[in-house]
Amino acid sequence: MTQYVINWLLLGCFYAAVGLGFSLIWGIMNIVNLAQGSLLILGSYVAYWSYYSLHLNPLLGILVSMVVLFCVGWVIQFLAINRVIRAPFLVTFMLTFGLDLLITDTLQQLFTGDYRAINTSLAGAGFHVFGARVPMLNLIVAVIAIVLTALLALFLSRTRVGNAILAVGMDRDAARLMGISVANMYAVTFGIGAALAGAAGAMLAMTLQFSPIFSSQYTLFAFVIVALGGLGTPWAALAGGMVFAFAEEFAPLVPAIGFGLDTAIAFVVLVLVLILRPNGLLGKPFYS
Amino acid sequence: MASKSSSEETLVKTATSARRESREWLWSLIAGVVILAVIGLVPLSGDQASLSLWTFIVMYCVLAQSWNFIGGFAGYAAFGNVVFFGIGAYAVALVMQANGSFWMGLLAGVVVAALFALLLGLPVLRLRGHYFAIATLGVAEAVGQFIQSKNVGATAGEISLTPPNLSYQLTNTLFFYGFLALSLLTLVATVWLSRSRFGYALVAIRENERAAESLGIATYWYKVGAFVLSAAPTAIAGGLFAYWQLSFDPTGEGGAFDVNISVAMVLMTFLGGAGTILGPILGAIIIEYLSQYTAIAYPGIHGPLLGALIILVTIFLPQGLIRVVKELVRSPAGVKQSYQTRFREGVRRVARFTASNGI
Repeated sequence: MTQYVINWLLLGCFYAAVGLGFSLIWGIMNIVNLAQGSLLILGSYVAYWSYYSLHLNPLLGILVSMVVLFCVGWVIQFLAINRVIRAPFLVTFMLTFGLDLLITDTLQQLFTGDYRAINTSLAGAGFHVFGARVPMLNLIVAVIAIVLTALLALFLSRTRVGNAILAVGMDRDAARLMGISVANMYAVTFGIGAALAGAAGAMLAMTLQFSPIFSSQYTLFAFVIVALGGLGTPWAALAGGMVFAFAEEFAPLVPAIGFGLDTAIAFVVLVLVLILRPNGLLGKPFYS
Repeated sequence: MASKSSSEETLVKTATSARRESREWLWSLIAGVVILAVIGLVPLSGDQASLSLWTFIVMYCVLAQSWNFIGGFAGYAAFGNVVFFGIGAYAVALVMQANGSFWMGLLAGVVVAALFALLLGLPVLRLRGHYFAIATLGVAEAVGQFIQSKNVGATAGEISLTPPNLSYQLTNTLFFYGFLALSLLTLVATVWLSRSRFGYALVAIRENERAAESLGIATYWYKVGAFVLSAAPTAIAGGLFAYWQLSFDPTGEGGAFDVNISVAMVLMTFLGGAGTILGPILGAIIIEYLSQYTAIAYPGIHGPLLGALIILVTIFLPQGLIRVVKELVRSPAGVKQSYQTRFREGVRRVARFTASNGI
């Protein structure tokens, strides 16, 4: 049982990283970014490339992946999404779906659907707590995920750019009157969201396997995590990740459910939470 | 030419547009019937490949038209309507495996899908916007996964049926006309809806749900009604699809619960014009034709091309072709303009219209 608890906590932190960027983009711009999963997988490929071609430390690979994905996200928002940002939400929904299709299928064409992973020297390392094994790599990933959550919260509340992002999210027109460039702030927000997806992708490449076919699954996970936690703060993504990981880890132990129903479990949990707590667990109606 | 002041022009426009719009439904109906009648000539060519292509196109016409009821009229972004398609397909499969007739299966599919839409709509139609979209998407995915993992109908849900006792050509032609008749029926239903109290209520919900509620419209029940209405033709199309294809999987590419079918419904309706009578038919013809063409001509890059198409459509045609064309040809009444001026003015209006969603 201890093993299950440890797996749950480690997985929950990783899921927080998956949901973090999605939560920021949704909270500030009211965009459900269906391309989040494909950006995440793109991040995995960047990390893979920087490890095997540039021979960088995999932890440095996370940083490389974040930088590359920030640029990709900035360009996507500036060239495409900014043009339809005031349309009804279904338009941005479809637009990001198109982006998802474009990125995922291009990746699949270029690199095939093979499962890949980064095999680091730490892969087998770990230690024991109360008779349960704690894998070193997953622990590092969990710590990085929590650090990223804290950094995002600090960035939004303590820096000028972060405050500008919050201001744009609160009231677009008032923010513009205060001299904030809304188009640019949106591009930066999407860039940060994409960079966080890139970080999660690099973590995925280090701990599990990745392939373009997983992209829609991670988009779905990100949605469920954020809807569970709520949109209020970056910490809500951590709460959502914990709850979702709990359902994923413990629901298959119930004999009637069994394995192989991941997606179904995710949705049942989601629909239950939406009906019981429409603003999520920690959610405030507004991102601040 | 431009001697009239703009406020005067607007006045004239509003005065005449009311009269012009009152006949719009009739022209849309006639145009729709003509389009479907022309498509109905396809089997005369005797070419099996083009017959199959156009059967798919007409099937998507039906799917887009029925999505239009909930997504276009009521403005609720249902992203999981493929679940009704899948229910229709599996109802036919299960009934026929139990030695029932095809028609029994079709009937069972419609009844089960309508009931499912009712029971599903009761909780999920309380959600709005993104939450509604994802909840419906999730239900479709979950039902598909359930059928696959619980081996409904066959191992992993991979159905195969015995073909009808007719020649291959005749069967395909019959299925083509089956889909065509269904599309015609849905067209008539759409025209009826656009002129009925029910349809007005749905449009009111789309434009401002709270205002509609405050006017005493029972918004919740109208939404549930629209959801059921969009489920029924989708289920019939699914049943026809099942007996036409004979073998199919629950999930994945080409499956009865393939999420891409849901996306296609939305995209086609959008391209043509959500909430219009002709829009879904036009969108379905254009997109399915392009999609099948690229799938054959450039099989490798079919997916990226479709993705790029979705991006371009949503950026440049978020209101749909029908509305863009209307905006292009609209001319201020009572003002004589050369065709050149009218065209130039039209292009300017469309450019402004397209850019209106950006920052």
